Amino acid sequence: MYPFASLPANLAAFCDRLRRESGFRIGPGELRDAARALEVVDLANPRAVRDALRPVLAGTRDDSAVFDTAFARFFFPAPSGAAPDQPPSTRREPGTDAAGREAAARRPHHAPRADADADDTSHATGGPMTAFESSGDEEDEATRMATSSYSPLAAEAADAPELPRIDRAWRDAARLFVRRLRRGLSRRWRPASRGRRFDLRRTWRASLQTGGEPLAPRWLRRPRREPRIVLLVDGSRSMSAYARTMLQMAVALAGATRRVEVFTFSTSLQRVTDDVRRAAAGEPRRLDRLHHAWAGGTTIGACLRDFLQRFGERLVGRDTVVIIASDGLDVGAPDRLRDAMRELARRSAGIVWLNPLLATDGYEPTAAGMRAARPHIATFASVQTLDDLARLSRVVRVRA
Amino acid sequence: MTDAAAIHDRFRERGFLVDEAFATALQIMLALEKPLLIEGPAGVGKTESAKVLADVLGTDLIRLQCYEGLDAMAALYEWNYPRQMLHARLSEAEGASLPDREASMFSERFLLKRPLLDAITRERSPVLLIDEVDRADEAFEAFLLEVLAEWQVTIPELGTIRARHKPHVILTSNRTRELSDALRRRCLFLWLPYPSVRQEIEILHARVPGLPDRLAQQIARLVHALRELPLQKAPGVAESLDWAMALISLHREHLDAATLEQTLGCVLKVHEDRGVMQAHAAALEPILAGAPAGLESGGYSLDTDFGFGAVTTPGS
Repeated sequence: MYPFASLPANLAAFCDRLRRESGFRIGPGELRDAARALEVVDLANPRAVRDALRPVLAGTRDDSAVFDTAFARFFFPAPSGAAPDQPPSTRREPGTDAAGREAAARRPHHAPRADADADDTSHATGGPMTAFESSGDEEDEATRMATSSYSPLAAEAADAPELPRIDRAWRDAARLFVRRLRRGLSRRWRPASRGRRFDLRRTWRASLQTGGEPLAPRWLRRPRREPRIVLLVDGSRSMSAYARTMLQMAVALAGATRRVEVFTFSTSLQRVTDDVRRAAAGEPRRLDRLHHAWAGGTTIGACLRDFLQRFGERLVGRDTVVIIASDGLDVGAPDRLRDAMRELARRSAGIVWLNPLLATDGYEPTAAGMRAARPHIATFASVQTLDDLARLSRVVRVRA
Repeated sequence: MTDAAAIHDRFRERGFLVDEAFATALQIMLALEKPLLIEGPAGVGKTESAKVLADVLGTDLIRLQCYEGLDAMAALYEWNYPRQMLHARLSEAEGASLPDREASMFSERFLLKRPLLDAITRERSPVLLIDEVDRADEAFEAFLLEVLAEWQVTIPELGTIRARHKPHVILTSNRTRELSDALRRRCLFLWLPYPSVRQEIEILHARVPGLPDRLAQQIARLVHALRELPLQKAPGVAESLDWAMALISLHREHLDAATLEQTLGCVLKVHEDRGVMQAHAAALEPILAGAPAGLESGGYSLDTDFGFGAVTTPGS
């Protein structure tokens, strides 16, 4: 089973392959531990060797699966002549898609590409070729503007929207907004000049300066909890004009707090937090990986369900404010949207829904999707400009 | 006890089934004296395994339950200030010299040992269980790294306390938050999946004496099928054990639709999940009817899968 003559040579070659092909980070420390692990197991038993190396070399669940494939390929290569099998998949970025594998397996309604295309064309805004045709029923002036400016030429740009740069005013508005969202008190006590609890330890320590007499009392206080913000931006065609403002807001929020996660969705969900963070740091970024999430039809319910399954456990908690930016023109089943919204509302601090149509006079949230979502929305608003964000800071209501 | 097979047997004697991957990981952990980070869905026995390990090694279990806001003081040590103050007042009249009084004031007598300090001052290596480390915040994780790397604690008034014997450390995480790479690098890693149907039947028999074989099979297969559904809270092994106990106390020989309805609260803990289950009732029907089905799906099915990767997701 061993391709090389000596054990160290085998181990080093295997680790090298893991490093090169699968992006594992294996340093001398890991290599030494791996060698020590091999000392205690039966080398004639390949399964034992694998079980011994895996805990040392693979650090996450996804790595474990990649490791197993790579192990089999290295020590038991397919006989020549047999069809070459899949190369081991590369290591996923930690945090992004860690749960993706699980979700993909559990997701029976995952729409194949052809279906998504069909959805696109059946959606009110039409495909690129029919972009100038008058659109469907629930559209109003604002969306029609957005639609009519859509052309096959513009499609290129729409495929890879650039993340906008933000100025100081946006950042200040975002800071204010985040501060306004501060949650209740943390469980942790911190020293403070004025606080609710007497800090015996520090008081006594300070009394050393005054000859053992505690003259200066010290206090402890519970700081306010930082909110976690999850921003879900609808990137479908009907939203194309508005989504840019939302990405601007996303970049501004990322500049104001670390605890923000940004996703875009249309027929599928994409995590774009890293791009947004880098844009907030001043790096020009284009969301070029998104072309299928950008400017298509929308299945909001399915995307929210997908979000809950893949990221819900880690990102949604009592401190999480979920902001959904969408016009609610959903081509999916309203039931699915309602169920996802109910669960999201139950598990988070509250849902803020930003709907661009709300800014138009006489708009009533009567679309089926919007009607299904409405009961679970804590704050319903529209943010189109900087001033709107400032106004939202004043009116936003979520659970304390 | 350095052999994976021996570990397997000892754990089995105590009603805890470990598969080969788990046993080998424990073996490596004991041999390398490194912490073992166990991740997996809720209710697969992560915490329990630490308890059993302590029992197997004949040593103490020291548990540090992590929670949001856990800080170094609560994990390491605290001086017993009220007692020190009392002592200071009472010993004023004794006329002992100042250095003596100070020395006695900051002696181990007034030190309240918290789990981490406790773990490194034992005469025998204890098993230190750092439970649900993902619940603690990042600041505590950084502090934990320092302790796990050095195995020494510096108390300004007493000096540095070095571990006489390194504890065997097991960390568990439910993945409510991504742990830092630094912590992962410091630890050995084990993903503990749900057991396969066959393993679960074995577990049920080991833990619930007198369980009819047919009932065990039905429970294991039904729970297994439930885990495939898009539930909010998938049932863990703990749930299937609870369920088995409940059915035994109800004197049921097998599962049928009515019994399932009565005892569903043992397995499904969220109201909406009932709806999901009813929507997929057709898939569960054959199990209730007792039709035979393949036992080899999900979990580590090590007899057949070798060479294709043991860590697989059910259904993928």
